Amino acid sequence: MDNVVELNNVTKQFKDFSVKDLNLQVKRGFVHGFIGANGAGKSTTIKMMMNLLKPDAGEVKVFDLDYKKYEKTIKERIGFVYDGNVFYEGLNLKDIKRIVAPAYKHWDNALFSHYTSQFELPMNKSIKNFSKGMQMKASLAVALSHHAELIIMDEPTAGLDPIFRRELLGLLQELMIDGNRTIFFSTHITTDLDRIADYIAFIHKGKLIFDKSVHDVAENYAIVKGRTDLLDQDTEQAFFHIHRAATGFEGLTDDVRNAERTFGGEVVIERASLEDIMYYVKGGLQHV
Amino acid sequence: MFNLIRRDVILQKKQLLLFVPFTLFFVLLGKQNPAFIFLLASLFVPINTFAYDEKVEVNILLNSLPYKRSEIIASRYLGAIVYMLLATGVTCGLFYALSRPFTITDIAISSGLFLLFTALFFPVSYVIKKGYVFPVAMISFLALSIIGPKIVFHFADDLKVITDFVTSLSTPIFYIGLTLSILIIYVVSWMITTFIYQRKGF
Repeated sequence: MDNVVELNNVTKQFKDFSVKDLNLQVKRGFVHGFIGANGAGKSTTIKMMMNLLKPDAGEVKVFDLDYKKYEKTIKERIGFVYDGNVFYEGLNLKDIKRIVAPAYKHWDNALFSHYTSQFELPMNKSIKNFSKGMQMKASLAVALSHHAELIIMDEPTAGLDPIFRRELLGLLQELMIDGNRTIFFSTHITTDLDRIADYIAFIHKGKLIFDKSVHDVAENYAIVKGRTDLLDQDTEQAFFHIHRAATGFEGLTDDVRNAERTFGGEVVIERASLEDIMYYVKGGLQHV
Repeated sequence: MFNLIRRDVILQKKQLLLFVPFTLFFVLLGKQNPAFIFLLASLFVPINTFAYDEKVEVNILLNSLPYKRSEIIASRYLGAIVYMLLATGVTCGLFYALSRPFTITDIAISSGLFLLFTALFFPVSYVIKKGYVFPVAMISFLALSIIGPKIVFHFADDLKVITDFVTSLSTPIFYIGLTLSILIIYVVSWMITTFIYQRKGF
């Protein structure tokens, strides 16, 4: 299976935050979700993928190419959607198209018209008067109109109403019918991923906690609930984090079979949702 | 890269409508030195571009599109020359139309000052904090036009060797030398800005 994006031991240091030794592979032809709390390093990672930020150490490869030599070739093949509006606020879509379209060799005017009418976007209204959802649709229309193989999106669903969020996810699914296309997107709304993601990478405080297929996550992660007296130094090793209360404990494990062996029928084991995983990991890592 | 230069026209459609009345006002007023009017007209588009390009989002957009960073900077430097030529052309037209006098020297002085000013300002604009670019541009422009000549006259007395050397040059050599020095400063500034911009994060 070939990788569209590869981050190898990537490190980026800021004054009060850093992304450390990040290894991430985005596989061709799949939807790859990227989750993490606010400030976990999602945007920083995406910016390094786009060469907006340069890593202090490590290597970033997109389409197996290096940004130093092939910046234009790479970006020609990427469609991007960012959290906020990056287009000139005062301009309308017609003018934005005039600026963006000539940058791409494979810009498709008919496709752009198709998306703008599908999204019901006004062409002559300045973009600053668009609602958040419309701005997002406008970015998406631009990102989809040059036959990009890789679509990178930073929090595309943040601030959108539930109806448009669903529409967007449906649209992304449609795009994936073209088997050569890859979507990488970050979000902190985990239910987005349940719907469409094939792979999920989870970042926490600048460190990648896991990068697995949705199937693997569902198979291996679980919430274990039981009596507190079942816990001792050995059995605690099975958990990421344990929450204790007078009535018993709840813990997150990434090896459900091991937990089953350890505790047998003494505990209740439930499937962990992505939200559960994020919540427990945030509570602190007990072991790695 | 031509697209990036053309971008300024699309961005500044409304401001460009003001360009003719703005220049016409100074030509009609007739109080300023024609060189000054040419300079003001030349600065019109690039100054507006500064105001746009200091925004982080704009740099995120440009750098996400298939452009190299060196091309983005090249478009600024070449664009400045293109817009200077266009603005100078239109201003000439206005002077002609109103049959007001001006000389080639006026144009030479304004073009020289314009190139010098942009050469100094471009690299600085990528170093100073956003939001301050426009005020810094205006203040330094005014300061240079007020204090600049005084500094030159002051040094003219102190550095007699240099001024003697300059005055001893024949007129053509003096102009060629001046043109060359300005061009060298412009190219060096271009290189410095590219160096700064390559290292920036957005």
